[in-house]
Amino acid sequence: MPILRLVAGRILLSIVTLLIVSLIIFGVLEVLPGDVATRILGRDATPEALELLRAKLGLNDPAPLRYLHWLGGLLSGDFGQSLVSSRPVTDILAPRIYNTVLLSAYAFLLYLPLTIVPALIQAIRRDRPVDHGLSIVTLVLLSMPDFLLATMLLFTFVVLVPVLPAISLVDHSSDAMDYLRAMTLPALTLAIVMAVYAVRMLRDNLIEVLDSDYVRMAELKGLSARRVLLRHALPNALVPTLNVTALNLAYLVGGVVVVEKVFSYPGFGSLLVDSLQLRDLPVIEATVMIAALVYVGANLIADVAAVLLNPRLRTA
Amino acid sequence: MTDTVQLLVVRNLTVAYRQGGGWARAVDQVSFSVQPGEVFGLVGESGCGKSTVSLQLLGYRHPSTKVEQGDVLFKGRSLVTMSRPELDRLRGDRIAFVPQNPTTALNPGIRIGDQLVETMVAHGRAEQVKGAAIAEVLKLVGLPADPGFQRRYPHQLSGGQQQRVCIAMALACDPDLLVLDEPTTGLDVTTQEQIVNLLSDLRRRIGVAMLYVTHDLALLSQIADRIGVMYAGRMVEIAPTHEIFLRPRHPYTQGLIASIPLIEEQSARRSRPLRGLLRRRELPAGCPFTPRCDHARDRCASERQELEAIDNGRAVACWRWREIAPIPAETSVASTGGRQSGPVPALSVDGVSVLYGPRGRGFRAVGDVSFDIKEGEVFALVGESGSGKSTLARVISGLVAPADGTIRLRGDQMAASVGGRSRDERRLIQYIFQNPDASLNPRARIGETIARPLAHFFGMDAARAKAALADALHDVRLDASYQDRYPDQLSGGERQRVAIARALVAKPALLLCDEILSALDVSVQASILALLQQLKSEHGIAMLFISHDLAVVRMLADRVCVLYGGEVMEIGAREAVFAPPYHPYTYSLLHAVPVPLRRPDKPAKSRGLVEPKRGGVGCVYAGRCPWQIEGVCETERPPWREAPGGIRLRCHLTLEELSARAGWTAAQDKEIAV
Amino acid sequence: MSMDHAAAPTRQSALSRYRLLWGQTPQSFRIGLVILLVHLIVAATGPLWAPYGYSQMGTGIPLSGASWEHPFGVDQLGRDVFSRVVHGSHIVILLSLSGTALGLVVGAVLGLLSGYLGGWFDNLLQRLLEALISIPFLVLALIAIASAGPELSGNPILVVLVVALVYAPRIARMARAAAMDIATRDYVTVARLRGESAWSVMRRELLPNATGVLLVEFALRAGYAPVLVGSLGFLGFGLRPPTPEWGLMISENRALIIITPITVLGPGLALASLVVGLNLFTEGLARILGRTVRLGAQ
Repeated sequence: MPILRLVAGRILLSIVTLLIVSLIIFGVLEVLPGDVATRILGRDATPEALELLRAKLGLNDPAPLRYLHWLGGLLSGDFGQSLVSSRPVTDILAPRIYNTVLLSAYAFLLYLPLTIVPALIQAIRRDRPVDHGLSIVTLVLLSMPDFLLATMLLFTFVVLVPVLPAISLVDHSSDAMDYLRAMTLPALTLAIVMAVYAVRMLRDNLIEVLDSDYVRMAELKGLSARRVLLRHALPNALVPTLNVTALNLAYLVGGVVVVEKVFSYPGFGSLLVDSLQLRDLPVIEATVMIAALVYVGANLIADVAAVLLNPRLRTA
Repeated sequence: MTDTVQLLVVRNLTVAYRQGGGWARAVDQVSFSVQPGEVFGLVGESGCGKSTVSLQLLGYRHPSTKVEQGDVLFKGRSLVTMSRPELDRLRGDRIAFVPQNPTTALNPGIRIGDQLVETMVAHGRAEQVKGAAIAEVLKLVGLPADPGFQRRYPHQLSGGQQQRVCIAMALACDPDLLVLDEPTTGLDVTTQEQIVNLLSDLRRRIGVAMLYVTHDLALLSQIADRIGVMYAGRMVEIAPTHEIFLRPRHPYTQGLIASIPLIEEQSARRSRPLRGLLRRRELPAGCPFTPRCDHARDRCASERQELEAIDNGRAVACWRWREIAPIPAETSVASTGGRQSGPVPALSVDGVSVLYGPRGRGFRAVGDVSFDIKEGEVFALVGESGSGKSTLARVISGLVAPADGTIRLRGDQMAASVGGRSRDERRLIQYIFQNPDASLNPRARIGETIARPLAHFFGMDAARAKAALADALHDVRLDASYQDRYPDQLSGGERQRVAIARALVAKPALLLCDEILSALDVSVQASILALLQQLKSEHGIAMLFISHDLAVVRMLADRVCVLYGGEVMEIGAREAVFAPPYHPYTYSLLHAVPVPLRRPDKPAKSRGLVEPKRGGVGCVYAGRCPWQIEGVCETERPPWREAPGGIRLRCHLTLEELSARAGWTAAQDKEIAV
Repeated sequence: MSMDHAAAPTRQSALSRYRLLWGQTPQSFRIGLVILLVHLIVAATGPLWAPYGYSQMGTGIPLSGASWEHPFGVDQLGRDVFSRVVHGSHIVILLSLSGTALGLVVGAVLGLLSGYLGGWFDNLLQRLLEALISIPFLVLALIAIASAGPELSGNPILVVLVVALVYAPRIARMARAAAMDIATRDYVTVARLRGESAWSVMRRELLPNATGVLLVEFALRAGYAPVLVGSLGFLGFGLRPPTPEWGLMISENRALIIITPITVLGPGLALASLVVGLNLFTEGLARILGRTVRLGAQ
C-alpha cells in the first residue's frame, strides 16, 4: 500500500524532527548557558546553595548523560520536578493543559464560521465594494499584534460595553457558565487572529477554483449557482486551506502565550511565561516540548488528510 | 433565410474583458449563424477571440468580461439577457459545451459517473439515470460502460478517454447544439483522429449541430460545413469549407492556408509564412490585418470594412477582395538536403536503454535503440508523447544516464553524464528546448544570454563577443538591437530564435531540437521552419529533430526514425518512410494527420488506446496494432526487415503484406478532395 | 508586468517617466509606501522635534487624557506618551529591520545552497530547519532569551539576534524552494549542459531569478518583526524600561486602560499603522514582481 508507506514515512520524519527539537531545547537551556545553577540562582548565591541545586538537578553528570536521562524521562511520561514548588511537572501541567485545550476548542469553534463566511462573501462579490472593504478589515486585523487586539477587545467589552469579565480566572470550582464567560474574550482574540489569515487564503483559493475549467464546465452544463459553489468549488478550495488550519493550530500554541497573559487565564501559555520568569527549567522544557509536539502533530494530520482528500494521491 | 430556421444567430457581438484598470475588446462586432444540423468552424490564431465567442454561445458570464453590444439568439431567445435560472435550464440540455482541456475541465474530486449523473439530474432526467442511460451514453462515445469504469476518477483516465467523457456529458441530454472549444488540442495525433472521427460519426447518427473552434484549419476541413475566420476579434471571412480552401479571398485567410505544412506532397513545399505578428496594442482603426497585409492601402488602416456578402454564401471583410486574386499558396521546390559526407557519423547511438524509477519496478522509457546521424544530416525522431523521443535527446546530451548502451560523438565514445564529458564534447552538442519561455533566463539580456557560451567555450571577452553577437543575431534573422532586450520583451517565436542563436554560437556538430516548434502559433512555426531550412543548407550542422508533427518532419528531415513505446519501429530515408510499405504504426500516424479537404474515409478502426507493452515478450505495438496477427505478435519479438530505399522496419508481417495493406497514397487523397 | 518597448516614452523628462512608473504601481503599494515614509521620517527626525524627552517626568498631570499638549495623554509617571512614541520609533524600526536583514542573509545563503546542491547537506539542514520551525516562534524567541541569561537581557543586540534566529529558518525554507524551482528551468539545464560551475550557476542564473522571492520574503518578515519585538517587550522579555519601545509601553499603561485608554491606543496605533504600511507595501511589491504572498505571521 503506497499510502500506508507514505503515512509511515511522514510519522518517522516527525519523530526525527521531535528528537532534534529535544536536542535544541536541551542544548539551548542546559548546555549553552554554561553553569545552569548560577543561571538559576543568580550571581549572589552561596556555594552551598549552588552545590545543592547541582546535586538536585544532576548537573554534575556530563551533558550527554543528562540529555539521555531527561529524554528517557520524557518518553516514560516523567517530566521531573518543578524547581520552584517541588511538585511533579505533570501535576502542574495537567490542569493548565486542560484549560488551554478547552480554550483552543472554543477558539476553533469560533474560527470556522469567522473564516468561511467572509471568504465566501468576498469570493462571490469579488472586486466589488464588499470584497474591498473586507480585504481592508482583514489586512488591518492581520497587522494588529495579538496583545494589542486582546487589549482592544478587553477595552471594548469590559469598559465600553461591560458584559464580560476583565480577568479570566477559573479553577476547578468554576462551573460551565464561569468558564464560558471567562473564555469568550481570549477565545475570540485567538479566533480572529487565526481567521484573518485563513480568510485571505480561502478567498484567493475560492477565486482560483471559481475561475478553474471544471467550475466553468459545471456552470456550462447547467448546474445552479448554488450547486456549483457548494459541490464543485468549496470542497476543492478547502483542501489547501487545511494546511493553513494546521499552521493555525500551531499558532495557537504560541498565541496562547500572549493571550492568556493578557487575560490572566490560567493555561499552558501563561505557565510558560511564569516559569520562564522563575527560571523553572523542567517546566519550561516540558512546555516547549509539548508545543513542538502539537505543531508536528498538526502538520502530520494535515498532510495525511490532504492525501486522503485528494483522489489523485489516494488512488495512486 | 429567416431567424426561425436558424438555430443560432450571433449579431454584432462585442465582448470586452477587464485589463488593468480598463476594458479591452476581445471580440468586435462578430456576426454569423448556425443552421440546425450544421457544423460551423471558427478558426484563428491564439488570442483572436474565438474562444470568447464560443463561451458567449452558452451565455457565460464572468466578472471580468462583459458583452458591450450585440446579441446571441438561440431559437430566437437572447442568451445575453436571459436570467441565470433560465440559462441553467438551457445549458447542458439544449446547448452543450466540450472544453479545450478535459484534464482540467473534469472536477478532480468527483467520480466520472457522478459527474454524468449530475448533468442529467440537473435537467430533470433523474428517471433515465436509474435506467441504463449513463451506460448508453458512455457506449455512444466508445467508452466502457461498466460500473467499475463509472466509479473512476478523472485522473485514472487517459487524455483521450477524458475528452470522451466530456463529450458524453455534452451529449447526455441530447442537445441541439454542441459548442466545441479546441477539443483536440493537447491530444496526440492518433487520439485527435479518433475524436474527430467520433464527432463526424455522431453528427451522422444524431444530426446535432456544432460550433467547432480551433486554430487548426486542416482539421476543420475534415468536419466543418462552413468556416468563419477570425482575426484580432473581427470576423474577416465566412465561406463554405471547400471555398475557403480552394479560393480564399481575405489576405489573412490566404496566409493562414499557406502556412499549413502539407504532408501529402512528395516534394516538400516551403510554406509561405504570414508576415509579422498580431500586436493587439497597435491595431489600426480600420482593418486589423493592415500591418501584416501585402495588399494594404491607406484606406485599409483608417476605414472599417464590414463583412460583405459576395457569392456562394461567402462573406469577406476586405476592401480589395475583387483585386486580390484567390491564388492558393505559392509552391516552391523543396530545399535540397544538406551536405552529407564523411564516413564517420556525427553521432552514433548504440543499444541505448533507459530505465526510470526504482530498480526492478522501474519503467522502461527507451529499449535498445540504435541509430547514426551523419554529418550535416537532419535526423527526425517521431512518435506520440511517451514514445521516448525526449528521453533519447536527454541521454545524448548527458542529462540522463542510460541503463545500457553507448553514445559516440564523431566516433569517440562519450561519458554517460554531462559531468564526465570534455568541454569540446559539451560544446559540440547543443540542446534547444521546446518552450522558449523557460529556456531563456528572464533576468539576463539577450546579449548576455548569447555571449555566455562565447565566453565559456572560446574565452571571448566582451569586445570580441560584440561582433560575434551581431553575426549570431543576423543568422537567426533578428536585428542587432535585440541584444539589449530582456526575454519578456520578445514574442515566443523571437525567443526561440534567440535560443537557436545561443546554440549556434557554440559552433556545434549536432543540434538537439526537442519539439522546438510545438509551443508556437502556426504562422510563427512556418517562419522558424523556414529559418531551420536555411540553417541546414548554410551551416550543414547535423540535427536531431524531435517532433510529433509529421508534416514538419517531411519538410525538413533527411532520415526519419519512428518510435513507439521506447522502441524503434521503422527507420530510413524520409521518402521511403513516407511511402509504402509502411510499418503499421507509421501508417496509423500518417493516416491520423489531418490534411486539408481529406475527409476521414473509414471510421476509426484502431483498437483504441492501449498502453505500450514495454519490455514484454511480444511486439510493443501489439494490442493496438490494427493488423495484428493473433497469437504471434503478442508472444514473439518481431524481426527486422530491410525494405528498398534503405528502410529497416520491425514487424511480423512481410513487406509484401505491408505494401498491400497500406492502401492510402497521396494521389488517392487528391481525388477524394476535389 | 512587462514593459513594452514600443509603448515606453522615448524622449521625456525623467520626472514624467517616474510619474508614469508611479502610475503603474498598485494602489496598495502607494498607500503602504506613504505610511512607511511617514514612519521613517518620524524615526529619523523625531528626537529633534519631540516635545519632551522620553524619560522626562512631570510633563503634565499624570493619567490625564488626550489634549492638544499631550495628544496621547500622560502616563502615571507623568511622562508625555506622544513624545515617548516618537522617540521609540527609530528603536522599533532599527531593531526590526536589522534583525530581519540578518535573518535574510543567513537564511538566503543556506536556503539557496541547500536547494541547488541537494544531497546530504540539504537533508541535514532540512531536518534542523524543520525542528527550529516546529517550535512556535514566540516560544523559540523566549527560550533563546532565557538561554542568554540575565546579563544580556534587555540588550538590543540580543533582540536583533533573536529576530534573526526566528526568521532565518523560515526564509531559508522559501529560498530553498525557489532554488529548487529555478534549478528545473531549461535555462539552468542549458548552463549545466555547458558545464558551468555551481558557483557560476548560482550567481548568473539562480540569484537574479530569486531576488524577487527574497525581496518579497524580506518585506513580509520585516512587516511582522515590529510585532515580534513588541510582543517580547509586552511580555517583559524585550527591552528594559524606561526604553520607549511600543510593546513595552502598551504593557506598562495597560493596567490603567480604564482611566486613560489613549495611553494604550497611542502606541498601539503607531505599531499597527507601521505594520499595516509594511504589509500594504509587501502586497504591492509582490504584485509588481508578479508573485503571490501570504501575509501573516506564519
